[in-house]
Amino acid sequence: MSPHQFDIQLVAIIVAASCSIPGAFLVLRRMSMMTDAISHSILLGIILAFFLVKDLSSPILIIGAAASGVLAISLIEAVNRSRLVKKDASIGIVFPFLFSVAVILLSKYARNVHIDTHSVLLGEIAFAPFDRFILSGMDMGPKSAYVMGSILLLNLFFISFFYKELKVSTFDESFASSIGFRPRLIHYLLMAVVSFTCVGAFDAVGSILVIALIVIPPCCAYLLTDSLSRMIFLSVVFGISAAISGFWVANWLDVNIAGSMAFVCGVFFLVVFLLAPERGLFGIMREKRRQRMDFAEASLLVSLYNQEKGEAVKNHPDSRGMFQSTDFASKVVGFLKGKGEIAVTGGGLFLTEKGRERARMTLEGR
Amino acid sequence: MLEFAVELFSDYTARTILLGAASLGVVSGVVGSYAVLRKQSLVGDVMSHAALPGIVLAFMIVGVKEQLPIFIGAALSAVLAVFVINLVTRNSRVKTDSAMGIALSVFFGLGLVLLTYVQRMPDANQAGLDKFLFGQAEALVEKDVLIIGLTGFFALLVVGLFWKEFKLLCFDPDFGGTMGFSMKSLDILVTAVIVSAIVIGLQTVGVVLMSSMLIAPAVAARQWTGTMGSMVILAAIIAAVSGVTGVALSAGFENVPTGPAVIVCVSVIAFFSVLFSPNGFFTLKLKDARSRREIKKDYVLKALHDLALEHDDPGYAHSERLLALGSEKGFSVKKSLWALRTAGYVESVGEDNWRLTQSGIREVKKLSPLEKDL
Amino acid sequence: MSGRGENPVAPAIRVTDLTVAYGDKTVLWDIDLEIPKGSMVAVVGPNGAGKTTLIKSIQGLLPRVAGVISIHGKSYEKQRKEVSYVPQRGSVDWDFPTSVVDTVKMGSYGDLGWIRRPGRKEHEKALGALEKVDMLEFAQRQISQLSGGQQQRVFLARALVQSASVYLLDEPFQGVDATTEKAIVTILKELVGGGKTVLAVHHDLNTVSEYYERIAILNVGLVASGRVEDVFNSENLMKAYGGKTSFFPERKAAKRAV
Ligand SMILES: Nc1ncnc2c1ncn2[C@@H]1O[C@H](COP(=O)(O)OP(=O)(O)O)[C@@H](O)[C@H]1O
Ligand SMILES: [Mg+2]
Repeated sequence: MSPHQFDIQLVAIIVAASCSIPGAFLVLRRMSMMTDAISHSILLGIILAFFLVKDLSSPILIIGAAASGVLAISLIEAVNRSRLVKKDASIGIVFPFLFSVAVILLSKYARNVHIDTHSVLLGEIAFAPFDRFILSGMDMGPKSAYVMGSILLLNLFFISFFYKELKVSTFDESFASSIGFRPRLIHYLLMAVVSFTCVGAFDAVGSILVIALIVIPPCCAYLLTDSLSRMIFLSVVFGISAAISGFWVANWLDVNIAGSMAFVCGVFFLVVFLLAPERGLFGIMREKRRQRMDFAEASLLVSLYNQEKGEAVKNHPDSRGMFQSTDFASKVVGFLKGKGEIAVTGGGLFLTEKGRERARMTLEGR
Repeated sequence: MLEFAVELFSDYTARTILLGAASLGVVSGVVGSYAVLRKQSLVGDVMSHAALPGIVLAFMIVGVKEQLPIFIGAALSAVLAVFVINLVTRNSRVKTDSAMGIALSVFFGLGLVLLTYVQRMPDANQAGLDKFLFGQAEALVEKDVLIIGLTGFFALLVVGLFWKEFKLLCFDPDFGGTMGFSMKSLDILVTAVIVSAIVIGLQTVGVVLMSSMLIAPAVAARQWTGTMGSMVILAAIIAAVSGVTGVALSAGFENVPTGPAVIVCVSVIAFFSVLFSPNGFFTLKLKDARSRREIKKDYVLKALHDLALEHDDPGYAHSERLLALGSEKGFSVKKSLWALRTAGYVESVGEDNWRLTQSGIREVKKLSPLEKDL
Repeated sequence: MSGRGENPVAPAIRVTDLTVAYGDKTVLWDIDLEIPKGSMVAVVGPNGAGKTTLIKSIQGLLPRVAGVISIHGKSYEKQRKEVSYVPQRGSVDWDFPTSVVDTVKMGSYGDLGWIRRPGRKEHEKALGALEKVDMLEFAQRQISQLSGGQQQRVFLARALVQSASVYLLDEPFQGVDATTEKAIVTILKELVGGGKTVLAVHHDLNTVSEYYERIAILNVGLVASGRVEDVFNSENLMKAYGGKTSFFPERKAAKRAV
């Protein structure tokens, strides 16, 4: 691993970790698509701040950007609150507008500056190591690692100071305000934190793939745990792993790093979505099949039991006809025979004592 | 400016481009209305981003920049993204917004990976692919416009044929289901129509901003009208006008990309409509303020009456301070009293004391919402 | 018995001239209501009558046009800790990744204030409350794996942890099984027996007389309030429901008499 590669991964890890932390709350608050709005809107803030200070490395740019993220959210909420436009459409008209204005300003007046529409959209983490932090002549590593590191610290402070406030106002907003917490305040603080994070991540991964790093790791974690703190921890783990493996995939195929990181996030989610122990698709399907089979078995047993007692089911005199297909019927019969709950003699079905017992229990509703 | 316009419309290439922009506008205005009414605006955003890998894959397979394969590739991957959203939301506790975020970013990420991969391929004529990000109307040629027109025509034809079914689908799908229409097939049909609108906009507006071309005209149109028919027509007009204006602006000024120019036009119309339409933001605020004043006036009248009853004399006078007691901050009792005096319901006696007039006493009796109901 | 800020003569809740409007729609009109300390009060009224709005306004969660609320004689802002709120069950996301005991612990957040984290003491308290609602065995479960009745018990336990003196409950029996309903009533009655005050939005008119001593009948305006035997009659219900209910206490009583 060259020092260059090391630096890129360092930045990628810090970016991924800082994105996953507020991401967990965005996912739980059903605000994932707000990330889209924030990450696009901050460009306008960056550019306006740049016109103001004429210096690309000024911290004013970061503040301007974060402010425009929060502003975009307020604008969306104002449009939505007016009851004239639905929530999703409010998001959909606000940020493309702010973004378009920014892109036009950028391509018209800032051509010669080192931000072009391409890197805005796609990010250029590969260039991160070239911008060094030099302290009294000593090379201290890539600058973006420091910028992003501060944002990561900010996120960590925010989450640990306001953990219980965030938790309760996300879970139950009206209860939170009834005990004197201020859910609206918390909401805007969170939006500010997300804006800062997007600003930092923007340079590295661009405005669209920030969403991948903010939304996907928490979603993976959401399917794996029932505890909020573990969910946040797992999202960070997923985020970091996706960043590293994304980097190596990109390195191997010689393609865009940010895109590859997003794609790897998607692969992680796919794996979790299919294989998560309780909530994975396969698990759910197995459980559904088991329930259906259970139900079918019980129905067959009960029907046989009723026949024994002379209360034959008129529609299905041979009981097997109650199932949609003969295949399924013979499967059910096979299972029951295996469990020793029915016996098959001369094509007819008979309850064993064990089967009779289960039928009785089913009927009594146990 | 005028000369420029004349020049623009007399130039053959320019006419072709403007025609393309206008037809794109008509189609996306009509189709976008359905996306907005079905509260699926952001799905449009996901689909347009998700088209990217399809575009690049089609290019990789066919090897040349050919419209039709690119359209098909874009449409397929957009539809796949919608399928992913549905699959995830139906089978896990991940909610729609997150599923959309996942689909959008993963597909777009894959698109970028493929795009950069193609650009490294030797002798690939990939110069044209970049423009799908932000659109580049200047590159439209007659054949492109023809395909845009044809695709759009079919999309509009479907909307026309299934007009009443689509209306049911947007308004009350459960009810529509009971009427014997298969809402599932209609859902697929609407999605297909939306996808085709997105696909034909990719070259002009680009994947990043195409969703706004669907949403903004519909939102704008909705502010001016309440019926489906006029909404669809108005949205088409708004989108076509913005499309043409945006393209013209981008051609007229140097270094103004087409997609953003079009989106700024259409968004300005949308915001203007939300703010200033007859049922828009400002009228609504005015109406709210007025009815709040009414409620406060009623409240003061009632309070005056209640206080007076404690003295067994409906005409007993009370000070403004007593009335102001127990009201919220910022609630100016004085203003309400003045308004009531103008209406002849109260009169002032001495300094700062107020009492009900005869008509005020009659008015108070009409006030209780309970009695109104009965 | 008397809690932190209680004024021994003032009523537990006093609502004076409360008027609330959403936009141009008056939802509560000039409500005057007094809830005596140590009473169990039902708020009834048709859908959209403003019951939820009343409960929220008492806690200052909504902007009012006019009106004053006092809790034990002082303003709500000073008495926030005396009031415990159980929102409608449907108002939260039950998929939220939190366990039963953690959810109950949220009841202590108000006492903790900003930034401080719950510790051992809060945990014990939460377990105690869970025991009271008979949910101790579910303490570590994720909340989505509970039945409706169990979820409501968790909400109640969270309210118990708050150690307030006034309990405001919004439709606590909605979508709840009969056993839970009885259990919740028993706990609420215990609270009232201990001098606490309970105000609950209630839907089932058949059980009003059995559960509550007092009632407030609401439909935008306050139709009537007082002791159940005094004001819970067909005339007042007619006024509130406008003949839309088939329930009339007298008729029922008459039937029973036959
Ligand atoms: N946030 C809101 N904005 C506008 N109207 C509302 C809002 N919340 C409630 N309402 C209206 O206020 C009325 C009373 O609501 P609510 O207090 O929830 O009634 P209840 O709980 O008695 O069913 C209803 O007509 C409802 O439509
Ligand atoms: Mg309610």
